[in-house]
Formats: sequence, structure tokens, C-alpha cells
Amino acid sequence: MKPERRKRLFSVLAVIFFSFSGISLILYALNSNLDYFFTPTEINERVLPETKRIKIGGMVAKNSVTRNGSEILFTITDYQNSIRVKFNGLLPDLFKEESGVVVLGYLENDIFNAQEVLAKHDENYMPPNLEIKNDN
Amino acid sequence: MIIEVAHFLLILCTGLFLMSCCFSLLNKNESYTHILVSRTYSHACLFLFVSFAIFIWLSISDNFNVMYIASHSNSNLPIFYKITSIWSAHEGSMYLWIVFLALWGFIFNLYEFSFKAFKSISISIISFVLVGFLTFLLLTSNPYETILPIAPINGADINPVLQDPALAIHPPTLYLGYVGFVIPFACALAFLIIGDPTIKWEAIIKKWAFAAWVFLTVGITLGSWWAYYELGWGGYWFWDPVENVALMPWLAATAFIHSIHVSIKTSKLRVWSILLSILVFSLSLFGAFIVRSGIIDSVHSFANDPQRGLYLLAFIAVIISISLFVFSYRFSIFSSKKSIESLSKESFISLNNIIFGSLIFSVMLGVIYPLVYEYLFNQKISVGAPYYNAIFIPIVILASIFLFFSIESRWQRTLKFINKKLYILISLTFAILLTFAVSFMFNTNNLYILASIFSGLLIILRYFLVLFDTVFFKSFVNPFSVLAHLGLGLLLISISFNSLLSTERALSIKLGEFETYKNYKISFDDIQVLKNSNHDAIKGSFTFEDLDGSSFKLNPEKRRYFTRGQITTETAIHITPIKDIYITIGDQLDDKSWVVNIQINYFIRYIWISAILMSLSGILLLFNAQKEKF
Repeated sequence: MKPERRKRLFSVLAVIFFSFSGISLILYALNSNLDYFFTPTEINERVLPETKRIKIGGMVAKNSVTRNGSEILFTITDYQNSIRVKFNGLLPDLFKEESGVVVLGYLENDIFNAQEVLAKHDENYMPPNLEIKNDN
Repeated sequence: MIIEVAHFLLILCTGLFLMSCCFSLLNKNESYTHILVSRTYSHACLFLFVSFAIFIWLSISDNFNVMYIASHSNSNLPIFYKITSIWSAHEGSMYLWIVFLALWGFIFNLYEFSFKAFKSISISIISFVLVGFLTFLLLTSNPYETILPIAPINGADINPVLQDPALAIHPPTLYLGYVGFVIPFACALAFLIIGDPTIKWEAIIKKWAFAAWVFLTVGITLGSWWAYYELGWGGYWFWDPVENVALMPWLAATAFIHSIHVSIKTSKLRVWSILLSILVFSLSLFGAFIVRSGIIDSVHSFANDPQRGLYLLAFIAVIISISLFVFSYRFSIFSSKKSIESLSKESFISLNNIIFGSLIFSVMLGVIYPLVYEYLFNQKISVGAPYYNAIFIPIVILASIFLFFSIESRWQRTLKFINKKLYILISLTFAILLTFAVSFMFNTNNLYILASIFSGLLIILRYFLVLFDTVFFKSFVNPFSVLAHLGLGLLLISISFNSLLSTERALSIKLGEFETYKNYKISFDDIQVLKNSNHDAIKGSFTFEDLDGSSFKLNPEKRRYFTRGQITTETAIHITPIKDIYITIGDQLDDKSWVVNIQINYFIRYIWISAILMSLSGILLLFNAQKEKF
């Protein structure tokens, strides 16, 4: 092989190697930082590891919000199954009973320990999975 | 009647833009075609501007026959918010987007270029983009849709969180940035189509690219600032999908303004610059698609409408495939035979472009991956801040180290460290010492934060030495580059300190009592119920007392707006040079105490100041470019 060609081959190989390792690193970062989204029914059906951070979406059940100091407890339901959530912090403005909510956190025994509570800005919002079930 | 006139003008200008687009296909005398295209374009613009002015007037005069105004404005609003209500929802903001697109082309059209065909083809391409978006506006989201025969008595009001001065200027600035990249895009395509490598298109579009970049930077910064004080979450960036689609064009544009610099100085990387100009504009359009199609749930996204999404996707696909087709057909004409010298300035800028490319790729992946994943596995997932932090922090630190070594580098010459060895040593030593000092002072061993502080310090110290060198030894310096990169250094340091020091706590506190948090004695003095013209509010009154006895009052509010029943939080912020004390009030508990959230945010102002420094460098460069003639 001519030295010039060899040089070119090396640079091409280097580019392939670096872009390959770069992309694998990015994909690795992506995979280890995903939050899976479930409805209470899906939580009921599957066994989930307690160490995994997940999101749960549904409606805040009627008359379920109780407070214990600054800790808030409420139930998320999809009208088939429900799950109890505890949260320590300030609830978003749009949080209210019988309206859509998404919580992010960890499942601990049967209580979901929420780190973040998100209520949608759109008043008509429902988690997509619920919409179908309500229509039936 | 006036509504129909305005609607008609809008249709008319669409037709005229179509004509101006087609005229350049005429194979007539060059200067004749040029005049035809240019004049048709400016007249079409005038019709569009008049139509938009009528729309503004309709909104000011509370014409609730127009459905859009009836559903987003209200006669009780001050005139200022009647105008801003125009861009508070999909139809009106799309309209504004289009008007700005036409405006950029209109200003571009005022300039005379020695190469006539270049200008007329650019204008035709802009017209083509305009025709596509105007058709989209007229067919799927007509702002002039009417409620006839009887108009509602009053409008449904603007969303209260949007009733804010920052939000009044944030979308227009951002849109000016997004659509401003149509000029580099159109010029790049015209350059490819003409196929004459002697045209200096990079020099022609430099000003335009910088102007659009400044608007984009300021627009994103304003959005970050608004979200901080209005949404009541604290924080300056949430990696929300809609923030990400604004970040991608910004990253691409930043890479672009670096690469055209190389193209202008050395006529290398020309093909790459062309490709980047296509990428920047495509990413801007992609942003419009994401926000307006509703395929992503976000606080910013507009109502879902599959028809709109499909149309936009199809049109964007057309634009991208046409431009890539032209590109692949013609690019070889412009490829430079000269190779890039290793460790020269252009090699460092190439490296910068690779880094920005990988950042764009990662953000794109974060936005797209959940959609693909859900489609394939029927499992909803979301990609949050940890992913972006894991990608951005190491890459940006790496980029800063490269930047540090690139300061010495010269065009087309290998870098020799001999000359400025002393400066490198001084800045390295001080950066290391200061980082250790920070580590001991704040008792932290978080490697990410220390590394960011180190690289930020490295950049700032090095550029101060550059300034020192300029003042005392009269060596050449590019002041715009110094200013922008000092902004980057400050950004790294302020973000690091912000995440290192900021704290947050929810307290429950009774009226007349006090709590302590972080050296502050917080007493809850009073709570009032206020009645205002368009909302009720509860307003708390808190006194914060520092250890040294100085005190200040903060009055956070919670409001309920009448027309929509929407509840909003009005934060109260005490600003000091290094930190913000940020308080929001929540609900009342059963034992009569109130939940309040207190955040102490360090260096958050400096994050915006560094973004302003970057924009300022762009603005100064533009003023300077006005003086130069090219």
C-alpha cells in the first residue's frame, strides 16, 4: 500500500472508531436515564424494581388528598386501579382532585414516593392511555 | 368587511409570492428577471404587512367577529396585551412567524448586489418558503376565521401566565431568530444553483447569520428568565422538548457562525458551511413542526391537530429534500483542494463543529427517541435532565479545554506553544489553585462541578491575559470573540455554582409565627385577599431577617383569574448580587398553616448575564460590520 493511501485508511478508520464510540456513549447515557411511564393498571400488572425511577400518570382520585405536615398524600387512579402517592413539596397550581397529573419518583412497597408532581397546563389534558378507556 | 379585506390581502400576497418564486425560472435577461422578482416580492410583502396591521387593529378594536381574537383576547385587557394576545396561540403566532420571515426577505431585498442572479434566486427561494407556510396558514389555521352573524360580547381572555412583559417580547424575538436563518439558507441554495465559486456568499450572509443568531440567543434567554419568575418552579432550564427544539438551531447556528469565519478567512470548509446553513434552517422548521403538531406533550405546545402536523412535516420534507438534492448535485464545485493544517485555527474550529454536531445529535435523539420507542414497543418513556447533563457536561468541558489551547492558534499555520507558554502556565496554575480553593471552601468533591468551574476559570483567565497582551503589547485581538467566549466562561462558572449552592425547601408556617431556613428567620406577617379587575388574589406578606439583622419583605401571591378559572403563582424574589431569595405560596393546610416554597438560587442572574454577553458580542460585530463595506 502506498504511504498516502495508508494514511487515508488510518484517518477513515479513526473517524469510524471515534464516531462509533461517541454514538455508543450517547446511547448508553440515554438508556440509563430513561423514565418509563406507566398507568396504575400497568403498575399492578408488572413487577417493577424499586430502584428504578418511573413516571405514573392518571387522575387524582376524588377525596383522596390528605396532608401530614408538609407531606401530601393522594391517590392516582385510572378508574380501574389506583396507587397511593406521597409527596413533600409544593403542588403545582393546576393540581386538583379529578384532574390529570403525572408524578415522577420511586415505588416503595405500595406507596409511590414522588419527587416531582406535574399537572398539565391544558385543562382538557388527560394522560393519553386514559382517554381511550374513558371513551368506552 | 374589513376582515374579508385583510383575508383577501393575505390570499393575494400568497399568489404574489408564488409569482415571484416562479419568475426566476424565466430564462430571460438577467437584470429584467431581477427587477421582476425583486419588485413582485416587495409588493407581496407590503400586502402581507398591511394585512397583518389590519389584524393588529382588529385585535385592538376588540373585533370579536374574528374567532381567534374572540378566543384569545378580552375587552378588559390593556392595549399592550391585546396586541400580544396575537401571538399567544397557534394561528396568530404562526402568522407572526410568517410576517417575520417575509420581513427578513424584505430587508435583504433592499440591498443591492453586484451579482444580480444571486439575489433574485435567493428571493425566489424565500418566496417559495413563504408560499408553503402561507398555504399552511390559510388552509389549516386561518387567523381570519369569523364568527358570524353575531359576535360574542366579550373574548375568552389571554392565558394569564402569558400576561407578562417578558412573554410579550420573548416569542417575537425567538421567531425573528428562527426565521432569520432563511437568508443564509436561501443564499446557500442560490450559491449552489449558480455554481460560481467566486461569489463570496459567506461574506454576504455573515451579517444576516449574526443578526439571526443574536435574536435567537436573546429569545432563548428571555424565555428562560420568564419561566424562572412566572411559572414558579425556579430554575432556568428544564430540558423540556420545546426548549430543546430551540436549543438545536442555536447550537447549529453557533457552529455555523464559526465555520463561515473559516470559509471567509481561508476559503476552506465552504461545503461544510453550506450544509450547516441548510441544517440550521431545517432545525428551525423542525422546531415549528414539533411545537405545532402536538406530537410532544409540553407546557409550550399548542393544541393537537394531526392535519397541521402532517402538512408541516410534508412541507419541511420537501424543503429539506430539495436542498439536499441541490447540495449533493453541486457541492463538489466548491470543495477546497487545500487540506487543513493540524493545530491551525481552522482545525480547532473544525473540532468545535464536530463537538456542536454531537451535541445537536444528542438533543435530537432525546427528543425523537421517546416517539420512536413508544411506536415500537408501546411503552411511554421520557428523557429527562439526567441524560442531557450526562452528555452536555463532559462535552462542554472538553470543548472549553480545546478553546483554551486554540487561543494561540493562527490561520493556516501549525500552533507553536513557545511564544505564549507563560500565559498558558499562568492561567493553568491559577485555574487549578482557584478550583482547589472552591473545593475546600464549599467542601465538595463533585467532579463534574469542579471540572466545569476549572474549565470556566481557564477560559476567563486566558482571555484576560489576551486582553492584557493587547493593552500592553498591542497584539491583535478579535474583541467579539473575546467577549463571547468570556460569556461562555462565565456561563460555565455560574451554572456550576448554581447547581452547587442552590437549595430549596417547602415549609409549613402559621400566620404570625416564624420558621428558620438557612440563616434566615422568616416571619409570616399577614395574608390578604385582594380583588382585582380580572382576578382574585391571596397575597402573603413575609419578612426575612438575616443573621446580621438586615431584613426585607416579600409578597408572593396566588391568583385565580375569572374568565378561565386558572390559578397562577406570582413569585416574590429578593435579588442580591450573588443570590436570589425566591418564595412562592401554596395551599393552606388543615391546621391553618400555609405551605410556602423557598429557594435560594445562587448566581442565577449571571447565567443570563453571560448569555447577554454573548449576544452583545454579536450586536457589536454587527455595528462594526455596518462600517465596513463589502
